[in-house]
Amino acid sequence: MSKEFETFKDKIFSLAKKYDSDVQISYSQNRDFQVRYQNGDMDQYTDAGKFKINVLVLKDGKLGSSYTETFEDPEKVFLDAYENISIVDGEDTEYFYDGSGKYLRLEPYDGSFENLPVKNRIGYVETAHSEIRKDERILSDMAVYGDQMNKLRIANTLGLDVSFINGGGFMYAMAIVKDKSPRSAAEFTLGRRPEDINAVFVGNKAREESIALIGSQSVKSGKYRIILRNDVFSDILGMLVSMISAENAHKNLSPLKDRLGEKIGSDVFTVKDLPFHPMSISNAPFDTQGVPTSEKAIIEKGIFRTFLHNLKTANKDGVKPTGNAMGNSIAPINLYVEPGTKSFDELLTALGDGILIIQVDGMHAGANPISGNFSLGAKGFKVENGKIVRGVEEITISGNFLEMMKDIEEIGSDLRAFIGLGGYVVPSVIVSEIDVAGTM
Amino acid sequence: MRRYSKSTLSERGDIVLDRFDKRVAEEILGTVLKYGGDFAELFVEDRYSTNIDLKNGKVETAQTGRMFGIGIRGFLGDKAIYAYTNDLSRDNVLAVAKRVGEALGEVRLADLSLDLRKKELENRHVVILKPQDVRKGTKVGYMKRAYESAKGYSPLIAQVVVHYWDYDQNVLIANTEGVYVTDNRVRTRLMINAVAVKDGQMESGFYGPGAGMGPEFLERIDVEQAGTRAARIAVRMVDAQPAPAGKMTVVISNEFGGVIFHEAVGHALEASSVAKGMSVFAGKLGQQVGAECVGAVDDATIPNAWGSANVDDEGTPTQRNVLIENGVLKSYMIDKLGSRRMGMSPTGSGRRQDYTFAPTSRMSNTFILPGDYYPEEVIASVDYGLYAKTMGGGSVQPATGEFNFAVNEGYLIENGKVTKPVKGATLIGKGYEIIQKIEMVGNDVERGQGMCGSYSGSIPADVGEPTIKVREILVGGRNK
Repeated sequence: MSKEFETFKDKIFSLAKKYDSDVQISYSQNRDFQVRYQNGDMDQYTDAGKFKINVLVLKDGKLGSSYTETFEDPEKVFLDAYENISIVDGEDTEYFYDGSGKYLRLEPYDGSFENLPVKNRIGYVETAHSEIRKDERILSDMAVYGDQMNKLRIANTLGLDVSFINGGGFMYAMAIVKDKSPRSAAEFTLGRRPEDINAVFVGNKAREESIALIGSQSVKSGKYRIILRNDVFSDILGMLVSMISAENAHKNLSPLKDRLGEKIGSDVFTVKDLPFHPMSISNAPFDTQGVPTSEKAIIEKGIFRTFLHNLKTANKDGVKPTGNAMGNSIAPINLYVEPGTKSFDELLTALGDGILIIQVDGMHAGANPISGNFSLGAKGFKVENGKIVRGVEEITISGNFLEMMKDIEEIGSDLRAFIGLGGYVVPSVIVSEIDVAGTM
Repeated sequence: MRRYSKSTLSERGDIVLDRFDKRVAEEILGTVLKYGGDFAELFVEDRYSTNIDLKNGKVETAQTGRMFGIGIRGFLGDKAIYAYTNDLSRDNVLAVAKRVGEALGEVRLADLSLDLRKKELENRHVVILKPQDVRKGTKVGYMKRAYESAKGYSPLIAQVVVHYWDYDQNVLIANTEGVYVTDNRVRTRLMINAVAVKDGQMESGFYGPGAGMGPEFLERIDVEQAGTRAARIAVRMVDAQPAPAGKMTVVISNEFGGVIFHEAVGHALEASSVAKGMSVFAGKLGQQVGAECVGAVDDATIPNAWGSANVDDEGTPTQRNVLIENGVLKSYMIDKLGSRRMGMSPTGSGRRQDYTFAPTSRMSNTFILPGDYYPEEVIASVDYGLYAKTMGGGSVQPATGEFNFAVNEGYLIENGKVTKPVKGATLIGKGYEIIQKIEMVGNDVERGQGMCGSYSGSIPADVGEPTIKVREILVGGRNK
């Protein structure tokens, strides 16, 4: 297979020369294993792999792009990209990177999940299932285990030639419990090594939480102090990713445009982009343009320090590229929120009276990263005097992300890793005031 | 070596047929069963897509590309194993087939003699222009017209992003029940995002019409009007107050408002949820689940609709499925695996994003049927409430019925009249409760286009409805 790629690449490079242009080719090979059980029975099992080749042709500062999933007809693939240049009329100049920078030496994924016998991989879901079923009030359950491996190589006619292997495993479990109307709770985990995945914990947590939600009620509409649990906070932080893209700022699509150096968050709020975090399965020594990645503070004690850049936006702003190109967009490698010192239980105490939010729904529709407004279906627990007293259902939380960053009062120490557009490593936070709509 | 060129669709379809002729297909399916299982299926996909992005009136990115791979699936009873690959060498494909059979475990039909018969289907979705035969410059011309119209709508419009997407997908589906069928799906979509800025506030408006047509779709719709529509939402919303919070009567406008049925009810009628009892509507066929004024269908046969196809992604011919009639639950949406689990016939609802996903039961074009009222009458009947004129997307947890969806353009209704614009409202509730609270159904049914994400990936799906009134629903706005 790789020999076929070399032949394909050589052909594309020689075509670039013939057409007096530069070319960049990326070759990504994926392995994907996933098994899903419902109520203890195998519901879906996938064991597969594929490859994809992306070709970018650069001529006179304009880019055209194409991709293919077969090694057939490199000429057609090249010409598709080359011809696409002719309709590009944006004013920005595009660049390739020559690979001359210094790359971090990151530990690649070691394939340890792939090397597990299938029986062990299925074992994760079976374990989670039997953990969930330890209470007879459970109506149904679902458990999913998956592992992925991605080999990426990027090379161009300026001399860039880099490669990296990423991957890891994850699991998800959901418990549905009997009540006046059924209740559900879910738990998720991921890791770079099999020992990072604790199926007992995941199943246990889903069961316990679903049971704790029995008897949930809504609340009165009003303003509340809330905790956004780490998983929920990582969902909501997704809005920041679009706002810190220099491309979006240039194109009037970010409310943070022209606000560098301003205080946009509370004193305790520091957000970084990390090329590597041991909990993440989204680490990378270079971005999709082959530019070295590096650690940087995006928001430091509430002050907005930098946008994320690709080659094009960095050149336009006269700054160094930050190694954050992700295909056509710009994204952090691992969006990391600096943890505080309080454990989750201490956060509950610090909250006093309020609502602990454990799930938000509808991020893709109810959160607008251009305006910053969000209004999301939510559920969680009512907290009184630092103790959980009952489940909360049928509420929404609404606000503006930019206002919310200023209302972050405390940050927990309970870091967890998640995947979005790039990785997230995020703790739970207290937000001092948010609008809640309820039916009581 | 076979060359891939700017050939016609039928020639392209032939590439798939040629490489996976009956003999090859029989060999692959037979290999699965030789090692295990009682049913095998293959899905070959060759898809060519174009994506163009226009920002501020200029083309920023233009990408074309080809996806080409095979998915192989086997069943043993109601156990399903799936694998895919795009290394299409004979040795590799047979190795993948063998792995699927081995994972199923039990050999049931080792000496199966297959006799695949190609089914010739009448094409109900005639495409006039093939995407590859229309110059990209022509496509860009339409995009620029939509841009100009949106930009010119108001001086408050600070940015307009227009995205164009088309694809031409050829599929071949064969299984051990003798199915051997091809289908060609061509789709074209224009997506317009307009941003308005006023006093430091930014708001956006979106409109994204699409169809199961070639680029002739751009001529069928009024692209200027499409641009204006996105701009109008952004401009109205930049002046809007936050929506009020709490329970109230809501009138949901026609077309994309149908996302309420899609989320609140539709997903919970898919076999993937129903078969294992993971749906609030499991075991309720023939029961009164909604208000008597509610009827709804899922119909993948509508000519050239965004979610239509001649056959589903399991090779079953599509059909019009009446889901709810006079409030009574009539049918679920069932794929092959769901059919085995539920002991009911498939409904032509097996769909998937592409060959990297195993198919499962999904919606196609799903909408509430028209009732008797003019939309003005519906609005006039409300003393105080929310008029949800343009909906965004939503989501649902079928096992609990909890759904949410966003209102992208909302207004207050006061004394039977639409008054102030309001923004940032999300509607939430439980599907089985909301469908009982529908009080009036208008006569103005329309469909709107979206992408639906679930187990088998992201697929084109129409939602639709006439104007409806819901007695009471929780509006997630701001408190005074």
